[in-house]
Amino acid sequence: MDRGLRGQRLTAANGEISSSSGRMRIGRLILLLAPLAILAGVIVLFVYSKGAGLNVTPAAPIETVQFGRTVLSPGKIQLHLRNTSPQPITVAQVNVSDAIWPYTISPGPDIPRLGSATLTLDYPWVQAEAYEISVLSSNSISFATSIEVATATASTAGGAGALWSFTLIGLYVGVIPIVLGMFWLPLLRQLGPRTMTFLMAATVGLLVYLGLDAVTEALELGALLGGAFQGTGIVGIGIVGTWLLLDAISRRQKSIERSEAGRRMALAMVIAVGIGLHNLGEGLAIGAAYSVGAAALGTFLVIGFIIQNITEGLGIVVPLAKDRPALRSLALLGLIGGAPAIAGTWIGGLVYSQGLSVLFLSIGAGAVFQVAYEIGRSMLWNDAAKRPAPFITFGGVLAGMLVLYATGVVIK
Amino acid sequence: MTEPKSPISRRSFVRAGVGGTGLLGAAALGLTQSGFTQDTPSASDASHGAAHEGGMHTMPTVVGEVNHARNGFNPTATLIDFDGGAVTRLSSGQTLREFTLVVQNKTIEIVPGVEFAAWTYNDRIPGPTIRVDEDDRVRVTVVNASDHPHSTHFHGVHPGLVDGVFDMRSGVVQPGEKYVYEFDAEPFGLHLYHCHTAPLAKHIAKGLYGAFIIDPKGGRAKVDREMVMVMSGYDVDFDGSNDFYLVNGIPFHYDHGKHPIALRVGEKVRVYLVNMLEYDIANSFHLHANFFHYFPTGTSLTPAEFTDTVGLMQGQRGILELSFKHPGRYMFHAHKTEFAELGWTGVFEVSA
Repeated sequence: MDRGLRGQRLTAANGEISSSSGRMRIGRLILLLAPLAILAGVIVLFVYSKGAGLNVTPAAPIETVQFGRTVLSPGKIQLHLRNTSPQPITVAQVNVSDAIWPYTISPGPDIPRLGSATLTLDYPWVQAEAYEISVLSSNSISFATSIEVATATASTAGGAGALWSFTLIGLYVGVIPIVLGMFWLPLLRQLGPRTMTFLMAATVGLLVYLGLDAVTEALELGALLGGAFQGTGIVGIGIVGTWLLLDAISRRQKSIERSEAGRRMALAMVIAVGIGLHNLGEGLAIGAAYSVGAAALGTFLVIGFIIQNITEGLGIVVPLAKDRPALRSLALLGLIGGAPAIAGTWIGGLVYSQGLSVLFLSIGAGAVFQVAYEIGRSMLWNDAAKRPAPFITFGGVLAGMLVLYATGVVIK
Repeated sequence: MTEPKSPISRRSFVRAGVGGTGLLGAAALGLTQSGFTQDTPSASDASHGAAHEGGMHTMPTVVGEVNHARNGFNPTATLIDFDGGAVTRLSSGQTLREFTLVVQNKTIEIVPGVEFAAWTYNDRIPGPTIRVDEDDRVRVTVVNASDHPHSTHFHGVHPGLVDGVFDMRSGVVQPGEKYVYEFDAEPFGLHLYHCHTAPLAKHIAKGLYGAFIIDPKGGRAKVDREMVMVMSGYDVDFDGSNDFYLVNGIPFHYDHGKHPIALRVGEKVRVYLVNMLEYDIANSFHLHANFFHYFPTGTSLTPAEFTDTVGLMQGQRGILELSFKHPGRYMFHAHKTEFAELGWTGVFEVSA
């Protein structure tokens, strides 16, 4: 009886709440929409008054074109264009190194806003020479792109062969150096705590340096994207998003893991994920560039990548120096750190886009920054509380950065 | 893998790839080719026509054809269009030739798909070829129907008041007004006229120029064909350098696959050649597989040179006399190759 009454009362109360919340919902909807409705009115007023009296219609059309891939095959140049301006663009004529050149364009010369087109020129280009190509729109606005070192892309034609080549490059640049770096683990075990602190600090230095490099690349490349694609915004989203995601993952891991060893493994995992994301961006760049690289760049630069990336493997295992992790765990760490380079070369080589490159570079940057912060917080500052060694940290960070600077001087 | 000492850095390596000017794997090529196969009929027709006819290699040219009807002039007509004016006789017995030049703003499709905000005499570029006899009285009424001051400056010997340079009294015409230039035609030869209002380069480059022929008393030696070629350029993006070079208003007009000039073996041809090119120092004319007699400025009836190439500074002009010994296709173009490949090129198609 009692229980039944209470139940009825509750139901009645619920009914009241739901009907009043229905009214509240309508009220909220009005509160939400009223400013938007007024805003729409303001926009109409602005347009109707021709920009508050200023004539906002531009005297000349604003046109921008972003050049994507340039693909060369014997006697042929293919350009990929994207219209990044506020209105449609019509391609009228094409100038190749000071000659008006016949072209075909698909799907057609009219490119809608944010649309793309592929322009093909029968042009007898010469190996290793430079070309300047400008596309003239019907509004007499020309957009130029250049081929700095002409070389055929035909050699990597054929799906499976190309995929395997890209996989090999990814292995060379990502997986192999990182796994090799991890082979220093037994040595690490014999080192004293001061040396370990130094190595941790050096890892932080390496990561900060790599992150700066990636941010610079991402911003430079982002600036080349059309206005509509907001390169700087992509960089911000990539860095902040990745940082916060990794941060959340590592906090969660720590809350789950009870043992010290487990926490150290979790840290190593986060480092591996961060480095992996960084290598994804690097692999993407290599994949996109490699058909140039095969002819024009050479073994030397890939060797440079390998030397720089071996330090990343060391960075992953440094937190594990006190432990005896299973071989399987180590293999997993190596794959997480290195294998994304392979995926990156595939993406870069097969489905390339500039916007995607900016995103991946900034994801990589966010990842390495977060990992540097994570190592700093978990290991260095904790250690520093136990065994103060400020100059070892200073020396380590600086040494890490200088190592990359020095290898950069050699390979750049 | 070639050069170990490659000058390209790791950074530029990366940038080459992600920067988009680099070249991509041909796997990507395969993808795009299967993705898009449809070409626009006009674009593909034009280039395939030029590229594959008789196995001919691809040569520089524009894709498509300008709308001559909408432009209001056609270089094929301009080539042989000589304007003698309205002829009357003055009481003194002197022949009077009257012309009217209307200056107007006009949008011209200079190459297919590209419209140029031109300034024109009588809605055409170049303006009409004015042709008079030595010692005729020439009366040219210039009407300014545009929104900028303009003038007409004739080359020749005449009083300063009809030189079209300094002020309204000497021939600068304000918008909506007109001015009458009147002078005796001398010396005989090939001359030119153009607007001489500041900023001068712009007024000429936008299209205000034309050829002015004064025939000698008794005329020149008889020929089968006479034609006029006014060389100039277009700066479509206003950066002070030409994007296109041309004769008679439209780049590549007389080119192979477009509208080559038909001749017959042995036909005597006289070409009145005027250089009105702005922004570049010099222009030139080169004839393939043939030579011509050259009369600089046309002020002498004796040729100065027998050659196949002449160079002309801006404002320089001369008369060419030639005939072809063999049938075939023969190019004529600026021997500055860049100008030729940017539009100043044409073909004589000589039949037996």
